[in-house]
Amino acid sequence: MPQLCPVIMGVGRTKFGEHYEKEPEKLIEEAWLKASVSAGIERKDLDAAYISDYFLQITNKIGIEEGFLSELTELHIPMEKTRSFSSALLNACNAIQAGKYDLVLVGGVEKMTDRWEKIRDDLMLLEDPWSYYAGGTPEANHELMLREYIKKHNISGENLEKLNIALAQISVKNHQHATLNAHAQFQREIKLDRVLAERKRVNRSLGLLDFAPISDGASAVVLASPKVAKQHTSALVCVAGSGSATDYITFPAREDRTSFIASRIAMQNALKIVDVQPNDIQIAELYDQSTLLEMISLEDLSFSKKGEAWRDVYTSCRDYQGSYMIDGRELFVNTNGGLKADGNPLGATGGAQVFEVVKQLQGEAGNRQVKTDRELRFGCIFELEGFGTKAYVHILRRD
Amino acid sequence: MSSEPIERRVSYIGDRLKGSGCSLCGKEYFRIKDYCGTCGRKSFGKMKDIDFFYESGVLEVCTFVKQPTNKFVKLGSYIYGIVSFHNGKVRVPSRLTDCLWDDSEIDISSFEGREVVPRFRRRYTVEKTEVIPTISLTFTFADEYYPHQEYEIVKPRKEYETPGIVGYGVYVPRFRIKEPRMERAVPFIDEDAITAAVEAGKLALIHSGIDQTLIGKVYVGSESNPYAVKPIASKVAQVLRLGEEDKTEGLQSVDAVDTEFACKAATSMFKDATALVYYPGVHMSYAMVIGTDNSQAAPRNEIGGELDFFVGYGSSAFIFGKQDVIAEVEGWFSCTSDTPDFWRRDLQPYPRHGGRFTGEPAYFKHITKAAKKLMETLGLQIGDIDYFIPHQPNISFPVKVAKALGFKEDQYMLGLQVARFGNTYSGASPIGLAAVLDKAEPDERILLVGYGSGAGSDAYSLVTTSQIGEKRNRQKFNVEYQAENEHIEYVNYDTYRKLKLGL
Repeated sequence: MPQLCPVIMGVGRTKFGEHYEKEPEKLIEEAWLKASVSAGIERKDLDAAYISDYFLQITNKIGIEEGFLSELTELHIPMEKTRSFSSALLNACNAIQAGKYDLVLVGGVEKMTDRWEKIRDDLMLLEDPWSYYAGGTPEANHELMLREYIKKHNISGENLEKLNIALAQISVKNHQHATLNAHAQFQREIKLDRVLAERKRVNRSLGLLDFAPISDGASAVVLASPKVAKQHTSALVCVAGSGSATDYITFPAREDRTSFIASRIAMQNALKIVDVQPNDIQIAELYDQSTLLEMISLEDLSFSKKGEAWRDVYTSCRDYQGSYMIDGRELFVNTNGGLKADGNPLGATGGAQVFEVVKQLQGEAGNRQVKTDRELRFGCIFELEGFGTKAYVHILRRD
Repeated sequence: MSSEPIERRVSYIGDRLKGSGCSLCGKEYFRIKDYCGTCGRKSFGKMKDIDFFYESGVLEVCTFVKQPTNKFVKLGSYIYGIVSFHNGKVRVPSRLTDCLWDDSEIDISSFEGREVVPRFRRRYTVEKTEVIPTISLTFTFADEYYPHQEYEIVKPRKEYETPGIVGYGVYVPRFRIKEPRMERAVPFIDEDAITAAVEAGKLALIHSGIDQTLIGKVYVGSESNPYAVKPIASKVAQVLRLGEEDKTEGLQSVDAVDTEFACKAATSMFKDATALVYYPGVHMSYAMVIGTDNSQAAPRNEIGGELDFFVGYGSSAFIFGKQDVIAEVEGWFSCTSDTPDFWRRDLQPYPRHGGRFTGEPAYFKHITKAAKKLMETLGLQIGDIDYFIPHQPNISFPVKVAKALGFKEDQYMLGLQVARFGNTYSGASPIGLAAVLDKAEPDERILLVGYGSGAGSDAYSLVTTSQIGEKRNRQKFNVEYQAENEHIEYVNYDTYRKLKLGL
């Protein structure tokens, strides 16, 4: 039986960054209103809602998120809360595919700057308590993974230098993309030298400009069954297939610490459902919580060969033309600026990724629209919870 | 951690680095697991307890943390990484401790691949009202100050009529501050009287080779317990798994108690431990006595600050029993008077000192009385005693009292260790005793006289046995090793005050 693919009817988001004056409810309201306008639906049309936030309970002491959303929409429909936008989207897709609902709101929100002083402790404690107890920081595991990667693939001398530059180029590239994104947290270019200088300043392999920022923001998507979607629109972008997988909470306890097994499994399962190959994907929103994770994701999602992603990045970025060139094929990655420059309000991040891929596939990305000779058909979004503890891949297709 | 139950559970696992191993497939885990993920249900009941407390591991990869999370800020910069045990069967997150970093560039790869030893430390900063969190996911390099030593249980081969010392351990950290006439041991910022007590106890077990489940009582003497109410001894008993362990309840079948009498809090209990293992009605094989102090002193410019020139940090542990004794307890004598030469009121951070009254009416009177009375009781002359070890709060007092009693330099110099570590309060004369036991020949007599302000003295006569030499090779980390170590790091006064204050 052919897969029933839920259709993305509309997308909306706020600007990411610091929203000092706004409650989380105001952010999700803004994103939801934009998505509903974009979808051309009314709130009473909704059958259900899935909302994601990573830790509003801690940052804003908001216990029952669904209650806020119910009050906002003045609806009494079923609502469920997840941790990441990708998870909310997956649950919504499952429900539509099961025939339970026809029109679903998927929303994500995060308000991290309200807890600025304690956020790194919270992030690390939630990522893995035992690593926190041992003195781990949100950045440390990225650096350990990089050390493992360098050792496993015997990267040294000139190649090590290239790898380090390639990682810096990822940050430079994502900032360059974000200059065209009005919603982005950082709409400014950065220089390669500054990325390297930040590393040197703290005596580490990854510096401030290798990591995504702390952000506030919200995003929303209106998802519909094909039957209902067709009543509203003819240009359809659907969720063609999704995959998710899990891994141990403690990073050091994992067998392979140079890649995320959860990412690999999620991607394989998603590809199988859609029946496409990695090189059919033309545009990808990857989870660049650090520059390293964008590079590792290129391998985990099978775009690059194991141990080779840094070469692909390095070569592509020497004379950057808007996309990575991997085996002679273009791959547009993080055209919105990625987590690094667009921002990373955890629960809302995936929604911004969907927002971007949908706009690109519909050819509505404005001055960000990717320039390619090929017809854009497949894009994917990839999101993690924790440090590779959960991975989600959604493959979006324009029909 | 504001939750005591969570704190208890994390410490229960983390202090000892408890793990599990599948007896079917050999897979190992950090943390207790009732079944193996590979073997599934058939491994129920077939998981064996392992822990990594006495093991050494390898620092596989690491990074430099310069901006720790809030609770780790007081630690400054540190190396954080992944340590593997048993050739990579188990990997744990880890923090390298006992390192002070300046801003110079460091080469991370020079730390990777090196052998490391778990160290029991404070975990991070909490409010002063909260339970103190501890953990052993902290490591130091085995080729530096603190070597890796196996703890091997050796079947005893000889039972003695008179009980005595069967093993001992001394712990002082690698940090020191230099004074005109002495060096003083300085704790690292994550150390305190509790962590030193556990270290000394661990070293004593390694040296004695006894089965730790046969210890029936542990005394911890201290005047710098970071808690006003809550024993150090319970932590020692739990971490060192003293007495039989009831795993389902997490209980140790051991009596654990803290004692306090200024600097004689530990030496006072030597006789109690000796008597306990001798009591015929209840069979208790061994009792442990620990003296531990992060010796307190007000800053130099404040009242009580005169102590700040002398205080050290360290701990000693002695195990008493009747099997494989290395020094028999021949006899003892104690005396007490209510002499307030040194005190600390409740809620005060630092002790006060009776100035010139700490000498004649306090230290000298009590030590002289106890020493003379014991020698008289046992019918001993000065010439019958090979080593004299008085309490040593500074260099001049012990030398003066030794000379006054008629001892010669070769009788008291070996036991005089205060110039190397500072006054370690309840660990002071016991460290002197350990230094003597490190070197003594069989059939030598030791006169140990502890002193505690407040005031009182305990004199002991100990006679070494023929077995004293045979246990020495188990303890590389002896007094001399710690005193003359090439990895000792000297700190200035400001750093010393900061480290001493702790997390």
